Amino acid sequence: MRVLIIEDEGRIAKRLERMTRTFFEENLTAINCCDSLQKGLIFLEQHPIDLLLLDLNLNGENGFDVLESVVAGSFHTIIVSAYTDKAIYAFSYGVLDFVPKPFDEHRLDLAFKRITATVKKHEHQMKVLAVKKAGELHLIDISEVIYIKGAGIYSELHLKNGKLELHDKSLEMLQQLLPESFERIHKSFIIPLDQAEKIMVRPGSKYNLLLKNGELLPIGRARYKDLKKRML
Amino acid sequence: MQRLLILLAIILMLSSCKQDDSYVQEQPVYRTGDNMLWAKTKANDNGWQNDRGDTGDKIFWVRSKIQLFRSPGGPLGLQIHAFGAFDVYWDGVFLGSNGHLPEPEIPGKGVPGKEVPGTESSIFLIPDSLSQPGNHQLALRSSQSYEQVIQRGVSVRVENYISLLRTPLIIMSLMNVMAGAFLIASLYYFFLYANSQQKEYTILIFAVICLLFLTLLIMEYIKFYIDIPYTHFFTRMEIIGWLTFSISFLVPLYFSIQFNFRYKALLTGIILLLLLFIYIYNHGHYDLSAILYSLVMWVSAMAVVINAIIQKEKGSTIVFVGLVLSAVANNFLYYDFGLFISFTLIVLCMLYLHTLRVKIIEQEHKSSLLLSSRLKLELIKKNIQPHFLRNTLTSLIDWVEESPQQGVEFIQALAAEFDIMNEIADAELIPIHQEITLCKTHLSVMQFRKEISYEWEDAGIDEKECIPPAILHTLVENGITHSIPTADKKIYFRLSFELTSNCKIYMFETIAENRPLSENRKGGNGFQYIKARLTESYGDRWDFNSTAVPQGWLTTIKLYNK
Repeated sequence: MRVLIIEDEGRIAKRLERMTRTFFEENLTAINCCDSLQKGLIFLEQHPIDLLLLDLNLNGENGFDVLESVVAGSFHTIIVSAYTDKAIYAFSYGVLDFVPKPFDEHRLDLAFKRITATVKKHEHQMKVLAVKKAGELHLIDISEVIYIKGAGIYSELHLKNGKLELHDKSLEMLQQLLPESFERIHKSFIIPLDQAEKIMVRPGSKYNLLLKNGELLPIGRARYKDLKKRML
Repeated sequence: MQRLLILLAIILMLSSCKQDDSYVQEQPVYRTGDNMLWAKTKANDNGWQNDRGDTGDKIFWVRSKIQLFRSPGGPLGLQIHAFGAFDVYWDGVFLGSNGHLPEPEIPGKGVPGKEVPGTESSIFLIPDSLSQPGNHQLALRSSQSYEQVIQRGVSVRVENYISLLRTPLIIMSLMNVMAGAFLIASLYYFFLYANSQQKEYTILIFAVICLLFLTLLIMEYIKFYIDIPYTHFFTRMEIIGWLTFSISFLVPLYFSIQFNFRYKALLTGIILLLLLFIYIYNHGHYDLSAILYSLVMWVSAMAVVINAIIQKEKGSTIVFVGLVLSAVANNFLYYDFGLFISFTLIVLCMLYLHTLRVKIIEQEHKSSLLLSSRLKLELIKKNIQPHFLRNTLTSLIDWVEESPQQGVEFIQALAAEFDIMNEIADAELIPIHQEITLCKTHLSVMQFRKEISYEWEDAGIDEKECIPPAILHTLVENGITHSIPTADKKIYFRLSFELTSNCKIYMFETIAENRPLSENRKGGNGFQYIKARLTESYGDRWDFNSTAVPQGWLTTIKLYNK
């Protein structure tokens, strides 16, 4: 686990670092602190990370301006902020968690657990997917998505307008962020439930899902029951 | 407005009375000399002259035939407009005198009696027996020992005696109503000017215009109740001329100030030159001068108002309408009334503008109160806004968990800052030492949070000085936020004070490396707060400058004495 902390309050940065070390123990391979957004963004360009702990108001600068670009990255983002009223906004962009200041170890650990375990999803839901394309950021409304296909460390977003966009996050990471209305139907596929037409049974007890646009997607054997239940 | 309409209607009626066709006066004829027979109806005046000629201080006679068309329906009156002193004969009957004729020089009788001048206008009662329709003969036994060169004709009005006496009273009553209004307005605006802190020149000018206008009304109608000897007839005209001159000068000046006219000096210069030209060129033609003066006033006021309409000044359209109305009034009414009505309309416009101005002042006052309370709120918010409070609490939890002893110190520093904030929250100015203490406690709080060592230095501080609350505090906050500490993890703050002959100077330095500014930084609230506080306490007598310098950041606040 490689972690970056962007926080301008020296004492709080230390606290975050200490609690991160305690939580991840030997799984933590790298931890760095930056005390300004500029330094943090430069660090991100040069170093791959798995988790970003981000304060939203640094040295009088508004961290929300960079939120779009960090959530498009291949890592999870946890916001640690004093501006609790901005939580819903942050969630809509697809942050893993929003830890309001002041926080204790328990609350931070809860956020960390979302990375590894499937914890009950937040009531505030992701509304847009930020995608980096040729160095530019695009925001895609999640209602535009027909299905998402895993492609190694990337994910392919198949959209209603027929286009295909690549997201830097893996299918597993996206599953953690996407709202309840999305269902993992296969190790390589996530669909929004409202796109499912019906389940087709093929010889050899294999199952396929017919989407509303006529495409057929495979259904994982272990996931068939869950899907059937949810489609009823 | 309604009263004005009624007045307009009455004056229209009065002016229509002018066209009286109940009599005709023939051209008067003159003859120097003295013969009591010339008073008789049948005296022969063939060969008499059509003008007075050079009569010197001698007696001369004036005869004029008057044809009455109908019975007056009451006692008949005779009003005579003429210069000099004279005895009046109507159909050979002596009616009365105006002034006293000089006594002829009789050898051995000492110094002869000099002429006692009569008034320009006099009224006589004609006996009923001589009031029948038909031809009548007016004869005046006159002298004009003074103002001998002035050739002024003899004109008469023959109509109901009562109405001759009453008409001036009716006019006077109306004019006195106006005069009273202007007296009150003038007094009110003089008092307003004297007692207001902001000396607004428009108020003074308006008060002066009202006073001048009041004086003009009095001077115009004083002839009805004071016998002015004809020798002083022109003194009154001269005074009226100068009053009209002054009003014609001040009214456009007033509008140009009120409507923020750009070329005030040029305009007033041109007006003054034009008025002086009219005065010199038409000297002696009093009525013409007054008409020209008011024309200059009207045209220049109109120019200012049209410009104001283009500039979209408040109230300009109303004044435009008022000026057009005044021109209409002036055009359709007999000269005297027309002028006064148009002046009144203009003054009403000015009064309306004044109420607009008062409204603006009221709004300014309200918004200044609003600003003060907003600033108070902003000051209180400094310590309860989430960024400060939640970050402080987070650090505090950490200190308490990790090192309770220092956690307690942190809490005490925080309590101290809250205390001072609470003390100064309502003040517009606080002693400088209190502000410095506030900065120092804030630094000790931030030291716990940021784990950076903040060093405070001050020099030359005068303990007696005061400063708006939390403006240095705001500079300290900015310094903390936008500075990267030096290699030894320190940031220095240095405050110095200097007193010069005309101002007090506070210099506040942050010695550290400045953080690079990102393009889309949303900031400047701090500076806005400081500037608003300075304006609140010092008006525009301050200077604020804040800029990057090689060793960090330098802010200079200058507070001017006057």
